[in-house]
Amino acid sequence: MHLPFFRVLAAVLVAAPSLVVAQDTTSRGVRIGLTYDPGTKPGVVVLPVSTALGDSVAAIVSRDLDLGDRITVIPLDASASRAVARAGAPNWSLLAQLGAAAAIQVTPTPSGLHLAVYNVATRQTALIRDYVAPPASSVRAWRSAVHGLSDELEQSLTGTRGISRTRVLFTRGGRLWLIDSDGHGESPLAGAVTPGSAAWHPNGRTITYSTYVPSQIVVQDIGGRGRTVASGRGVFISPVFTPDGASVVYAHGEDDGVDLYSVPASGGAARRLSVGRGSDNVSPSFSPDGRRIAFMSGRAGHPEIYTMDADGTNVDLLTPLDVGESAYRASPDWSSDGRLVAFQSRIDGQFQLLTVGLRDRALKQLTSDGSNDDPSWAPDARHLVFVSNRSGTRQLWVIDAESGRARQLTRGASVRLPSWSPRLGEP
Amino acid sequence: MRRLALLSAAVLALGGCVASKRDVFLLQTQLSTMQSAAARADTARSAQVAAVLNQIVQSNDSVRAVSARLAKLQSTVATDHYEMGRQILQIQELSGQSQRRLQELRASLEERSQMAAAPPVPVQGDTTRAVPSGPGPAQLFQSSLDQLRRGSARVARSGFEELLRTYPRSEDAPEAMIYIAETYAAERNQVAADSVYGLVVQRYPSSPKAATALYKHAISIRAAGRTAQARAAFERIVREYPRSDEASLAREQLKTF
Repeated sequence: MHLPFFRVLAAVLVAAPSLVVAQDTTSRGVRIGLTYDPGTKPGVVVLPVSTALGDSVAAIVSRDLDLGDRITVIPLDASASRAVARAGAPNWSLLAQLGAAAAIQVTPTPSGLHLAVYNVATRQTALIRDYVAPPASSVRAWRSAVHGLSDELEQSLTGTRGISRTRVLFTRGGRLWLIDSDGHGESPLAGAVTPGSAAWHPNGRTITYSTYVPSQIVVQDIGGRGRTVASGRGVFISPVFTPDGASVVYAHGEDDGVDLYSVPASGGAARRLSVGRGSDNVSPSFSPDGRRIAFMSGRAGHPEIYTMDADGTNVDLLTPLDVGESAYRASPDWSSDGRLVAFQSRIDGQFQLLTVGLRDRALKQLTSDGSNDDPSWAPDARHLVFVSNRSGTRQLWVIDAESGRARQLTRGASVRLPSWSPRLGEP
Repeated sequence: MRRLALLSAAVLALGGCVASKRDVFLLQTQLSTMQSAAARADTARSAQVAAVLNQIVQSNDSVRAVSARLAKLQSTVATDHYEMGRQILQIQELSGQSQRRLQELRASLEERSQMAAAPPVPVQGDTTRAVPSGPGPAQLFQSSLDQLRRGSARVARSGFEELLRTYPRSEDAPEAMIYIAETYAAERNQVAADSVYGLVVQRYPSSPKAATALYKHAISIRAAGRTAQARAAFERIVREYPRSDEASLAREQLKTF
């Protein structure tokens, strides 16, 4: 059906390899000027592909774009599917009637994936690109390649890179687990036993986590062996990497309160950062530029969220001080765009997720259904993964902080302490 | 001669027997007396020993009681100290909050008083209100801080500098200068930031922000390899601002030299 079009396209690509290179180079980060109503999400139709794996690719890309919450994927029924992609070219008038700003076609090729984006308003091809992908038999690597394509596509369409090629770390049953951001590929991580909270290195290949027995902070490459960077008497909890990945900041304490410490990620002497004077200071989270740390402290009598400079000075209360006895704010996580800190706050006896603006200190409540805690931002600074009991057991959920749309990520045994990865490279 | 010897022996033997009985009796009496005396002495000694033991026990009890009281006192003192620390911290937090609220309130009041002081001038055909003469120190401080929080370091710096120029004696001046340093740090201009931190310590040594500025200055010069000067700066923090958070951090830094 599309053979003539793609034959012409293939001939052009083969005859002009320099053109392919040019496309590859310039298409990264290029905006496609779509026409759609301001304030709305652009409608996109993912055109069907009648080749082996075509349905799978279309389904994955459609779901990735949908879960990104920046694009409306227009569903097609069987007759529309047949009519929308006529021989030779997209059915422009039908696409326009469906409200599509763009049509997308991803075709599996022997070496990977071929992407074509059509601008419905201009009736022109807006983007052509070829991706090298591993064979579909390498399921995880192949799915990762498709997610990578989806993320670049989302960047081209909206200006913001997608988050489908990311993963979430969490603890379940005394072990660390990993799951893709779309809910696939759930698997335990080898090596980490009795872990507390875990966090990602900015490189997306290394993690740090705490264990209770023995009490320690571990740095470990995914698939590799862990090495202890801090241990001893008392508690060692809530480690995070600094944004440059050079150090790990964690909470350590014995009988006289808990303070934040910094240790080189390669090991070495630890240095105290917070002066809690007997209070508990835990859950550090860095601003994207690495200059400030948000953390939870009980120094005012009950847990609140504070910020301080990365050297431990200039401590400032971030959340508005609540003098109520039930006041309890914890688990801060700084968004990657630096604008918001997400945290959990006890409201009517249950934890709910809120965000506070760094510029205006404005609070926004994100959840109200069940008990919701331990938020962790996605790298797009828009989605959060968190733990909720709204389905009956404590499971991971993802919420779009702008629209409030939520989806369940895990099922099965209860989970805790999620951490969303940075954008990942090839697996 | 032989008979005489036998007789003498017999007399001696008989005589010995008679003397021995008496002696034994005497001896028994003496022994009995001695035993009684010894028993009396033992009784007295054991009484003394018992008395001494009793005294030791009493002393031990006293020592134990004193020790318990001391431990309790230490515990009370430690608890009090801990509680005092917490209370000081809470007061600091609350006063910090109040200060920030007051700062915002002052800014708001300044704005209102300016509006009130400058009533609209009735000009024919002009319906606009008169423009206030200029922002007060609290207004300048607040708007500059807002700019810094929004990430506009340069604009924020202009505002803080304007505050220092226009209101050099304002109570916000030391903090404004600290924030000027922060704007440089936000722009990764560490040399300029360090220089301004030094100025804060020089101009406002009694400000609560002086310890922060000095600590940042010390960290910066240590990173630059000026170890002796850094050490001196950390020691100065401990000496001159012993109750500050920065003093606690400086003590830890000093352990690593």
